[in-house]
Amino acid sequence: MKEEIYLLFDQYLQGELSEKDRLDFEKQLSENAELKSEFETFKEVQLQLETKFDFAVDRETFETNLKNISRDYFKPKKAKLISMKPYVYMAAATVILLLGLFLFHPSEPKFEDYNQFENAYLTERGEGLELVKEAENAFNAKDYKRAIPLFEAVLKEKQSAEIQYFYGISLLENNRIKQAEAEFNQIKSGNSVYKNKAIYALALAKLKQKDYKSCKEILLEIPSDYEHYDKVQELLDKLD
Amino acid sequence: MIKTQLHPDQYLIEGLANNDSAVIHSIYKKYVPKVVSYIRNNSGDEDQAQDVVQEIMILLFNQAKAGKLQLTCPFDAYFFLLCKRKWLNELKKSSNKGVTISDDFTSVNEPTEEMVAQTELFEEKQQLFDAMFQRLGEKCQEVLKWSFTLKSMEEVAQKLNVSYAYVRKKKSLCTGQLTQWIQEHSSFKTLKKQEP
Repeated sequence: MKEEIYLLFDQYLQGELSEKDRLDFEKQLSENAELKSEFETFKEVQLQLETKFDFAVDRETFETNLKNISRDYFKPKKAKLISMKPYVYMAAATVILLLGLFLFHPSEPKFEDYNQFENAYLTERGEGLELVKEAENAFNAKDYKRAIPLFEAVLKEKQSAEIQYFYGISLLENNRIKQAEAEFNQIKSGNSVYKNKAIYALALAKLKQKDYKSCKEILLEIPSDYEHYDKVQELLDKLD
Repeated sequence: MIKTQLHPDQYLIEGLANNDSAVIHSIYKKYVPKVVSYIRNNSGDEDQAQDVVQEIMILLFNQAKAGKLQLTCPFDAYFFLLCKRKWLNELKKSSNKGVTISDDFTSVNEPTEEMVAQTELFEEKQQLFDAMFQRLGEKCQEVLKWSFTLKSMEEVAQKLNVSYAYVRKKKSLCTGQLTQWIQEHSSFKTLKKQEP
C-alpha cells in the first residue's frame, strides 16, 4: 500500500528505523527502480517544502527590500490611465491652465523642491564596517537625526570627503545650517569628486535660508560639466 | 555534468541570498540598465522592465536559498539572458503572433546557456510544485506549513491542538500525496529528462 511507503520514507529520513529495517529499506531501494525514483521525488518534495516555508520570512524581507531599492532606479510607476479622447485632454488642459493662471502666482523656488539627495552607498562588500553601514542606512531612510552621530563617529576614525558630504546633508536637513556650511566649504576647498556636489549643497543651504542672492552666486560657481548641471540650470532659471 | 569551477561573481548570488542591500544596489547599478534598454527597445516600457528584473531577482533568491545556484559563468551574461528570455516569454503570452525565442541561445557561450537552463528548470519545477500544493486539502496544507516552519513536530502538534502521532502521520502522508501527484504529472517527467 502506498501510504505505508510514504510513512517508511519519512521514518527513514528521520532516522527512526531500526538497523534491520534500515538495511532492508536500502536493499529494496537498490533493487527497485520505481521505488527509488519515488523516493527521490519524495526527497525533492521535502526540499521544496523546506524552501517554501523555511525561508518564507526571509523571502518576504528580501522582496520588501528589493522593491524599496528598485524604486531608487526607476521612475514611479505610471498610474493606469483611462484613455481619453484628445479633445477631452485639450479641454482638461485648458481648464487646468486657466485655474493655474488664477490660483498660482509665480513664486520663489523652495528648498523642499530640491532636496532629493542621492542615496549613500558607502560600504563595499565584506568590509565589515558596521558603523558606516548603519550610518548609510539611517541616511538612506532619511533618518538624518540618527545619521548625524553615526557619521561623526565614522569621521573620527577616517576622514573622507564622501562621508563628510553625507554628514553635511544630514546637518542641513536637521537645520544645523552653519555646521553644514562649514563641512561643505571644507569639501569645496579640497579636490575630491564631491567638490561640485558640495558647492551645490552650499547653494541649497542658502536656498533653505531664503537667501536667494547668495544661492545664485554660489550656483554660478559650479562648472557646466557638473553631472547634475540640469538641476543647477533649472534652479538658476527659477531664481531669475 | 562536468564539474566546472565556481565563477567569482558567485558573491552576487550569495549577496542576494543574504538580502545584502549593497549587493542589490550594485546589481541595479551595474547590470539592470542593460536589461531596461533591451526591454524598452523591444516593445516594453520601464514599468515592465522593473517587473521583469524583480521577478528574476526573486527567482535567483529562491534558487540560491535552496542551495541550488552555483554560478559557473559571469553574472552579467547570465542575468541579462534570464531577463531577456523572461521578457520574450511575456511578449509571447500577450500577443497572438508567436515570438520565436528558440534562437536566443545562439549568441551566448555554453556555460551561460547551461546556467540559464538550470534556473529556468528550477522555476518550472517550483511552479509545478506550487500548483500541486494548492490542490492539497486545507488540513494537509496546514500540517505541512507548520511542519516546515516550526522546529519540532511536538510544537506542530501543540499548535494545531492534535496528537503528536497524528501530525507525524499526516505530514508523511501529505508529503506522499504531493510526491504522487508530482511523479504522475506529465510535465514533471519532461522536466526530469532535462536534468543534467
